[in-house]
Amino acid sequence: MARVDHIMRRACTGALLGLTILLAHSAHGDEATGEPLTVLSWGGAYERAQQRALFDPFTEATGIPVEVQQYDGGIVELRQAVAEGDVAWDLIDMTRSQAKAACAENLLAPLSPELLAPAPDGTPAARDFIAGALNRCSITHSVFATVVAYRRDAFPGRRPTEIADLFDQERFPGPRALQRTPAVNLEWALLSYGVPREEIYRLLSTRRGLSLAFKRIDSLENLHWWEAGDAPVRLLAEGEVVMASGYNGRFFDAMINRDLPIEILWDGQVQEHETWALPRGAAHPDAAREFIRFATSSERQAALARLIPYGPSRRSATLQVTTHPDSGVDMRLHIPTHPLNAERAITKDDDWYARSHTRINDYFRDALLDERGNSDSP
Amino acid sequence: MAGEPETTRAHDPKHPTQGARGMVRFLGLVVLGALIGGLAALAAVGFVSAVLWLNDVLLISPRGRMMFAHPEALAIATVLVPTLGGLVVGQLHRAIRERRPHTPADVIAAVQTRRGRLPARAGVLSALSGLVSLGAGASVGQYGPLVHLGASLGSVGAKLLRLGRSDDNVAIACGVAAAIATAFHAPLAGIVFAHEVVLRHYALRAFAPVAAAAIVGHVIATNVLSSGALFHVTDTAVPRPWEFAAFIVIGGLGALVAGAYMHAILAVGRWAGRLPVVPSLRPALAGAALGLVALWVPDILGMGQETLRFATIEGAFGSLELIIVMVLKLAATALCIGMGFGGGVFSPALVIGTLFGALCGTLIGDAGLAGDTFVFYAVCGMVAVTAPVIGAPLTSLLIVFELTGSYVLTTAALASVTLASPIAAQLFGRSLFDIQLARRGLDLSAGRGRALLQSARLKHLLSQDCVTLNPHDSVDDAVTALGNGGHGEAYLVDDKGRYRSSVTLADLEVMRGRGQGQRQVRDCPRTPRPVLGPEASVWDAMHQLQDVTGEAIAVVDDKAGDAFLGVVYEASIARAYLQYSEELRREEHGTG
Repeated sequence: MARVDHIMRRACTGALLGLTILLAHSAHGDEATGEPLTVLSWGGAYERAQQRALFDPFTEATGIPVEVQQYDGGIVELRQAVAEGDVAWDLIDMTRSQAKAACAENLLAPLSPELLAPAPDGTPAARDFIAGALNRCSITHSVFATVVAYRRDAFPGRRPTEIADLFDQERFPGPRALQRTPAVNLEWALLSYGVPREEIYRLLSTRRGLSLAFKRIDSLENLHWWEAGDAPVRLLAEGEVVMASGYNGRFFDAMINRDLPIEILWDGQVQEHETWALPRGAAHPDAAREFIRFATSSERQAALARLIPYGPSRRSATLQVTTHPDSGVDMRLHIPTHPLNAERAITKDDDWYARSHTRINDYFRDALLDERGNSDSP
Repeated sequence: MAGEPETTRAHDPKHPTQGARGMVRFLGLVVLGALIGGLAALAAVGFVSAVLWLNDVLLISPRGRMMFAHPEALAIATVLVPTLGGLVVGQLHRAIRERRPHTPADVIAAVQTRRGRLPARAGVLSALSGLVSLGAGASVGQYGPLVHLGASLGSVGAKLLRLGRSDDNVAIACGVAAAIATAFHAPLAGIVFAHEVVLRHYALRAFAPVAAAAIVGHVIATNVLSSGALFHVTDTAVPRPWEFAAFIVIGGLGALVAGAYMHAILAVGRWAGRLPVVPSLRPALAGAALGLVALWVPDILGMGQETLRFATIEGAFGSLELIIVMVLKLAATALCIGMGFGGGVFSPALVIGTLFGALCGTLIGDAGLAGDTFVFYAVCGMVAVTAPVIGAPLTSLLIVFELTGSYVLTTAALASVTLASPIAAQLFGRSLFDIQLARRGLDLSAGRGRALLQSARLKHLLSQDCVTLNPHDSVDDAVTALGNGGHGEAYLVDDKGRYRSSVTLADLEVMRGRGQGQRQVRDCPRTPRPVLGPEASVWDAMHQLQDVTGEAIAVVDDKAGDAFLGVVYEASIARAYLQYSEELRREEHGTG
């Protein structure tokens, strides 16, 4: 029954989409007159790369200007905007787990895979995208990882090799910085007990697993909680902490472009899909769909991955990734999906997070945040 | 695969097993083993996936429970799902002749007595019952149903190809090996389990097809089941020399835990039989009780894979918690299986054993003795409890070896199993299966030869070719009748067809020599001779023969008022005995 429903919905959206593309083309002139497309994204080096690889070329190709706003993730603002009927963004760059949660709450418009362009060799998009990339309300454009980075000069004579070292302040002394969310921290904490990665989410589903994880995180001395994506690099750069979790793209930017003495520990990296999603009630859905088609083409994905090391979601794009246009760094070695880096990677279980995040957040807050009083986040 | 029809034709049991034709036949059996292995592995994969899916959907698995937002509804489901599952299982069992799910014990019985031919209908229903039981969170294991499912597939395959009993046995073993190889990702353990528990001999003729089945199962498992290995143990420390002594002691104590576990299951079974509740409603009752306790300790729901994993992590449980969860898991499993849920005894034994080992490790750790060797204690406890329950020390060791890839850990497990298996065998029996079979009248403790003869019925040896006399016949007539029949013994059967006694020609001649030829034969002196019942086995007949001199033994049905059914000649008893022994010898020592 649900399947039939799904097929019907797909058929309807397909038909609608055809219509809207027609309309969009006929209305092209109107949009070019200056109604900008508002994109909500993550700021920082990531946004600069998007600007160069996606937003500017899009404006050049279509005449539609792109206006960017920044956020730190989360769907609270989106929920509020949809409820008030005042959605300021046409397109949101969001993690797949949050997109699934938002989709389940009916905050996003459905997206059909038919709007996507085929690969350069004609392979249909559905076969070119990696598994799990095409969802009801979101389309994965890249795979990023949350990793641990450490200061190269912090531990003379040795360096961390596995994720358990994050919690080993005897061998690797010094303050740590972790994101103020349960996600990723819980996974790493359980990994440090020697739990195999296949069992992480099953074990985190029990009170016993959660309390083991909380116990491990709680054992860290001198822990800073960060919220904004650029905080870990700053904390490492200023020497406030010696190890910090963060997005691999930001760390790359700090290492290559700013020459900071930091190194990425790829062991236990938590991979996550970053998607495009369309909020319900947005002002320019047609232009937004056009943008998605443009930005997820193999060429644009490869262009983005040359600027910031996020793994493209299309197989055809991954093959085209080469060197950084300015620095000449071989970007393939820095993307999370590279076989050397992905050896012990965990894929974040977004279904699990989408359906349990409120409870997990509550447990996390009760166990770790309240007793610390205030966070050290900037 | 091209030569398949040819090889199957060559499976006629009357064909010789030597030379070129024997070779082709043997290769055919290997191909058949691989085919059965493939089928059994796919069935196992489907079964395991279906259980996982059901557990997620029915809010049994921790993952499913965590992803469900309403605590009140979750509590209701915790009680309701096992109860309803029990109801369904109870109804399923009504469609099975024995009114209970078939288990590996039935497989062992079929193979050990060379009966073979596992019934397809009971196989399907038992698998379904296992699926529903596991899916609804009953505290039972999945390996029992998988083993039985694999065995049934093998036996059905052998039946379709009209193979003989020996080949049927090999086909059953193939299904068993593939199921274990797939479910545990452990081909060696699969092969050894099939030999150690099911076949109980190591003939080369059986080894090759079983190995082929296990390999196919393993290949399918590694390609289809991405996750699923029971446990991974990352880098392990090396225990200090004295700790091996501790592992041996844990083995001895583990045997007692295993005994408690087996006897709890049997005791609940006996107690359930006296409950004033219709048998088909008993599982539902057990399910409701399980659900109520699970509200407090959810660890006892289902197979308990998460609990198993936590028990290998130092500090995940306190000592008191370990005792509580272990006792409750043992009780829950005894309740579920004793009250009639379908499912195995192995997975719960793994959990109970690991909790027991963890308890030992925690106590030794608290005493400040052990270092980083906690996982060794957990694994030793696990092996010490599971090996006696399934009667398979080698299989248990190989499972540890194949799942952990750690030689040190396997050596520790070996130390533990050294005492566990013999102590449990002395105190309780070779395995839970053997104890169950002994209670059903099949005693395997004296080996297969005796079990086979005990289960072989005399009926087909029964002969009507004998002289029967009416007690009122005269001695002269009797002598004439015997002379005409060419027999030395006659049987007195009265007008109502009841057996009275037997007389020998020698005694009759003595009477006639004394001039008593006109007297009735019933006055003839008789030596008391034993008789056999219609259900007597070849084994019973062999025993009677020790006390009998004569040519045949009368078969009399006590239940039908001593009705005379015929006789069994001593020669045919001896022939049957030799024939069964020869078949066994061929099956167990054949090379191909």
